[in-house]
Amino acid sequence: MAVSIRFEHVTKCFGDNRVVDDIDLTIEPGELFFLLGPSGCGKTTLLRCIAGFYIPDSGKIFIGNRDVTNLAPEDRDTGMVFQSYALWPHMSVRENVAFGLELRKVPKAEIQQRVAEALAAVKMTERADYKPNQLSGGQQQRVALARALVVRPQCLLLDEPLSNLDAKLRLEMRGEIRRICKQFGLTAVYVTHDQKEALSIADRIAVLDKGKIQQCGSPRDVYKTPRSRFVAHFIGETNFIDATVERISAGAIHLASPIGPVTSTGTPAEPVEVGQKVTLSVRPEVIHVGYEPPEDAGNVFDAAVHDTIYLGEMAQHEVNVMNRSSGHAGDVKLNVFDMNPKIVALDGERQLAKIWFRTNNVVVLKH
Amino acid sequence: MRAKLSWSIFILVSVIFGFLFLAPLWMVVKGGFIDEGRFTLAYLRGVFQNPVYTEGLVNSLLLAIGTTTLVTLIAVPLAWLGNKYDFPGKKLVSGLILVPMILPPFVGAIGFQQILGIYGGLNIALGLGPIDWLGKLQYWGVISLQALALYPIMYLNASAALANIDPAMEEAAANLGCRGVRKFFKITLPLIMPGLFAGGTIVFIWSFTELGTPLIMNYTKCASVQVFDALKEIGTNPFPYALVFVMLAMSVSLYALGKFAFGGKAYAMQSKAATVSATVTARGLKGWLVLLPFAFVIFVALTPHLGVIATSFTTPGSWYQSILPQDFTSANYVEALGHSMTVSSIRNSLFYSVLAVMFNTVLGIAIAYVVVRSTIPLRGVLDALAMLPLAVPGLVMAFGYLAISSYLSNQDWVKEQPFWQNLLDVRTNPTLFLVVAYAIRRLPYMVRSAVAGLQQTSVTLEEAAANLGASLWTTLRKITIPLIMANLIAGGLLAFSFSMLEVSDSLMLAQREDFYPITKTIYELFQLIGTGKYIASALGVWAMMFLTVTIIGSSLILGRKLGAIFRV
Repeated sequence: MAVSIRFEHVTKCFGDNRVVDDIDLTIEPGELFFLLGPSGCGKTTLLRCIAGFYIPDSGKIFIGNRDVTNLAPEDRDTGMVFQSYALWPHMSVRENVAFGLELRKVPKAEIQQRVAEALAAVKMTERADYKPNQLSGGQQQRVALARALVVRPQCLLLDEPLSNLDAKLRLEMRGEIRRICKQFGLTAVYVTHDQKEALSIADRIAVLDKGKIQQCGSPRDVYKTPRSRFVAHFIGETNFIDATVERISAGAIHLASPIGPVTSTGTPAEPVEVGQKVTLSVRPEVIHVGYEPPEDAGNVFDAAVHDTIYLGEMAQHEVNVMNRSSGHAGDVKLNVFDMNPKIVALDGERQLAKIWFRTNNVVVLKH
Repeated sequence: MRAKLSWSIFILVSVIFGFLFLAPLWMVVKGGFIDEGRFTLAYLRGVFQNPVYTEGLVNSLLLAIGTTTLVTLIAVPLAWLGNKYDFPGKKLVSGLILVPMILPPFVGAIGFQQILGIYGGLNIALGLGPIDWLGKLQYWGVISLQALALYPIMYLNASAALANIDPAMEEAAANLGCRGVRKFFKITLPLIMPGLFAGGTIVFIWSFTELGTPLIMNYTKCASVQVFDALKEIGTNPFPYALVFVMLAMSVSLYALGKFAFGGKAYAMQSKAATVSATVTARGLKGWLVLLPFAFVIFVALTPHLGVIATSFTTPGSWYQSILPQDFTSANYVEALGHSMTVSSIRNSLFYSVLAVMFNTVLGIAIAYVVVRSTIPLRGVLDALAMLPLAVPGLVMAFGYLAISSYLSNQDWVKEQPFWQNLLDVRTNPTLFLVVAYAIRRLPYMVRSAVAGLQQTSVTLEEAAANLGASLWTTLRKITIPLIMANLIAGGLLAFSFSMLEVSDSLMLAQREDFYPITKTIYELFQLIGTGKYIASALGVWAMMFLTVTIIGSSLILGRKLGAIFRV
């Protein structure tokens, strides 16, 4: 029942602005697929192209084997959940949910049954006769989901569905959405700018910027092995260190950097050669702070720890690596997340310690 | 705001309002139900038993129904097109489309007659021979003229309602497979219904009691004209009172229905739409096709007034059995400005209107301030009270003022003192009553403007001033009023223009020639045999030019928000 969604060289411009730029992408049947990016990256435009509210300037869109590129929205059989929910205020919850079924001329008895099931699936049975304005944000969101699901669409489109909810509800609802998608075996496309949402429930994520897909992969792929500075910076936090490739041996790249020699055993985004200038990405949580690094610590440096923000279970430090020849603190400043912190440097205090990070946690990116 | 002050303003405003608004209505009710100190239903029964009166009421209802239907048919499609498409010339036509509102249909009726008369332009142009269109199709003539003058009210309401819809509402329907006409009737129409009903109520009440148009079109078998004709017997005949009461009761019930059926409010949209606008740009041929209905409606709506302009330039007697006037002259204008009645009428109208707007501004700010800034429990009542003049037809108010004046002028203390006589007897000097009538009738526009302004102005701006030591009065003068100035100007301009061309109060209350306002003068001139019609037209053109400038001015200041002023 589930279908794939395929983009072939899709481009959409508003005036001179190429909002979606030559996108090629296949979303697999039954996948919960995320379009993630900063505002203005083209993610919502791409979603609205699937729904048919925008027609691409060039390229083709397929839902299953059907070319829907120029089809009107009402002929596409997609279920969309709008950012503003778009529940019709003049209809009750039940009427809102039944609307799509009535249009499809489903027999009355079946409509009743399916509406009841859909409302049960989103736990809104008791509010069936309320008007949308009488519901809270989270309840409205669930009704919008039920309205989109009840017609058993070929695919589900979600446009920042949780952005109007408070933090606690957001956590609750994102689990719900994944549960429902998997329960119905739906192909779902989910647009968000919230990386936590994407990392927590996506099967795959496409990170967009300036109308182009920067990287596409599973949450762990995208987080662990970002393939560009943009992706590394947009998802999670990271430290960038300029470096030059010195030597390449089996499975390891040895580099020279302002903090000293660094070794990386991670797979580089693109093949590198000796002498090439590159950027290293090292996430704050892979850097350890202490006095006695273990034998297999990998990259170890003497450093000055300062400006700690103490958060209880962890601390955020700023760290300057000591220059090996002069013995003074160098210019490169690293952010470090230290779980169960033992070192705390407050109010301009500087503490000398060692920092280390494993070689497989160093990602080599193009400069 | 301090509660004590709120209460003082509240009480003061209520008292003023009671005297100026409720007292005349009470006179109407009293005249219709009290016979020598005892309550009686005889007069009311008499109205419904008298075939002349019942025919008048039925005809008035038919006029209102016909006008409202026509208005809806003209305005809603236009508003829909205007909301959906960008097309060449949109800015221009969006302004022009509002112009007919300010041109009183009763002036247009003069031009209408020139064009549609037995020997008028249309018959000659089409070679139809002497067909008496106006005699045969009087009803259609009246409702067309009224509809062509009143459709902007509906257009503004419909446009505001459409603009308020989150585009995602319609997109969600399309996403579920709902299309075209069905989408419009299932989603769009229900969502704008409160707006349409608000506009429709005003149009209905307006056309139900409109006096000028039927009068000039000689459609005498309707309630408003019957009331006007019965004015001479105001002291002696109780039936006009009962008739006016019936009109009042019907208007107020309709208003209440509109208010309570829809709560007088549009559906609140859940949040601001993610997509800014669903406007489609119509280019080339399509653009012209969208423009066409606008141009057509504007043209038809302005035709009667073009007729007035043509008449005003016609050498008396030379537009007879010809499509267009045969001989042009500017002498009518010269004569219009030379005629003793016209010059004083322009001066009178300006004087009355300026006074009325000043009175309105003070009262409007006071009411709006209490409604928006105070927390006293009765502020909602005050808001509703201030809106009530919209529900009460001008004819009823005018009749009530006349009844008060007639009652007071029979009191000995008024008869004996020229001062009181001048102030209170409209036969001696109608200034006070005309100013009050103009002001109270237009108060809702002023209050709505000021309320809108205050609601958009954060209270923290006033608190900041108070925090720095400014007194309440200083804050009002230095902070609040400058901030809502645009709204006040727009509301004031609107109130001013409507006062300048007010019909019912003017026709009924001004009874001495040297106190005639413009509209009464036009009516009196129109009835003069010979050159009267031409001079009346010239005066009408002066007034229309003047008002076109004001309405365009206020439309520029308020923009799309202009629609909000015409809400019930």
